[in-house]
Amino acid sequence: MIQSFLSSWTLFYQSYLTGWLISLLLSIIGVLVVARDQIFIGAAVSQASTLGIALIMWASVVFHLERFSWFQSDVFFSAMAVIFSILAASITGRGGETGKESHEAITGWVFLISASLSILIVSHSPHGLEEIHRLLSSSIIGATTSDIWSFSLLTLLTVFLIFLFYRKILLFTLDPSMASAIGMKMKIWSLATSAWLGLAVGLSIRASGMLYTFGCLVLPALVAKNLCREVRHMFFVAPVVAILVGITGFVLANGYDYPPGQMTVTLFCVLLVLVWILRRLRNKNGL
Amino acid sequence: MESDQIVLDVSRLSLAYGKRMVLRDVNLQVMAGEFWFFLGPNGVGKTTLVKALLGMLPIQEGKIFLNPSFASRELIGFVPQRCDLNPTLSTTVSEFVLLGLAGLRTEKKETLERLSWALEKMNLDDMRLRNYWSLSGGQRQRALVARALVRRPKLLIADEATKDLDLSTTIALMQSLTDLNRKENLTVLFITHDLALAARFCTHTALFINGLVRTGSCQVVLNSEDLERAYGVPVWVHQDPTGALSVHIHGEGTPP
Repeated sequence: MIQSFLSSWTLFYQSYLTGWLISLLLSIIGVLVVARDQIFIGAAVSQASTLGIALIMWASVVFHLERFSWFQSDVFFSAMAVIFSILAASITGRGGETGKESHEAITGWVFLISASLSILIVSHSPHGLEEIHRLLSSSIIGATTSDIWSFSLLTLLTVFLIFLFYRKILLFTLDPSMASAIGMKMKIWSLATSAWLGLAVGLSIRASGMLYTFGCLVLPALVAKNLCREVRHMFFVAPVVAILVGITGFVLANGYDYPPGQMTVTLFCVLLVLVWILRRLRNKNGL
Repeated sequence: MESDQIVLDVSRLSLAYGKRMVLRDVNLQVMAGEFWFFLGPNGVGKTTLVKALLGMLPIQEGKIFLNPSFASRELIGFVPQRCDLNPTLSTTVSEFVLLGLAGLRTEKKETLERLSWALEKMNLDDMRLRNYWSLSGGQRQRALVARALVRRPKLLIADEATKDLDLSTTIALMQSLTDLNRKENLTVLFITHDLALAARFCTHTALFINGLVRTGSCQVVLNSEDLERAYGVPVWVHQDPTGALSVHIHGEGTPP
């Protein structure tokens, strides 16, 4: 099986590397999402970026914009996905205050409006509908060298920023009222983290689809949460889990001819169940 | 009165949420080493004033002068009314307390020294590796105070820090804060609705009465008439020959 995977490397190495880098990047950002217990933000943001892409397709047909090559370019599609992700992350970051709607309600609304609109507006365009279904079902085949570079850069930047602002990021994530009291500018922090989440998710959606993106965002961090006794350890354990499961998933998918995204997400889910059992046993034995 | 001894000077301050005026014409001067109680029933604007002091709420009118040494907030410790920490997330007492160092640059050695000092002050030293969520309510509250203390603050603001604590835990926590106030010259702003606690531990009080704030030494501010106006029930205040105050609410035992 490993031999077969290695022999497919020349043909698919860009997809493999991109998939692993996405997994690595999102698993780090996912720690913050999971620590705040706002898992569905990941789903809503992913879905919103799909809406961004659907809107471009719709506009392209309605306003006859096919003649502009830049309008059909990957960069423009990715930019729209990122813009809509950032917008969704900013909206879902609101709420939760007294007298306002809850985070969950706003996140649910963003998810539902994005999911329904993205299908509605391309439903009369066979090509558009096909693309949206591709994004929703996930496929990392077709990633390019530029994807590898952009996700490498984004991952390095994320690690660097977390290293630089570790305590502030943690305090903002875990206890916003304390963060505000010690002088952290909450609006700026909220905007910055939303933009970062939106950027990572928006770009990942374009390269790997919604299922893989959402799965890599929350599942490695959830596994890490159940394994670690301290939040800081999650920042190491989640990426390690993401890479190990990512490699295993791709090798298995290649060996048994299954889609790699779905295989990886399934493995994450199985691992999470095992970790839940382990945690229960640990708690039961008072360890 | 030296200006560098002034920690906080509030003059003619008015605060509102939208069009609803919460506090008006508040005047308050806090000097270094004083132990202030912000006292009043729930919903009278105590936390609102604290938010304004911390710059978390815009002011309608008036001025807040915060000693420039506190401008960067490095020397301010804050104990919030509630902790927003996700209860499904494991964290040790050490990690939780070290969150208080956010925004401060400290070497590893100093970090560990601060941690040990804060844990020791709150009697949590032997619990540093325990899961925060396995602690009792009182221990968690002490961990919250330790998180504020790890900054080695000169000004500590505690918002309802004894809420939900039993009597012995409350007294133990208050005695720790009083020790810090006396030995480390820590200025304390303690927000509470607990009259008996204020009478026992305060040096100064800001009493919140219907949108107004009466301030001064405890002996002056804690009088039956103002307390009755603030709380809406008759309150007897007794001062013993040593100057110690005790309060009795009508219906809760016999006044001395």
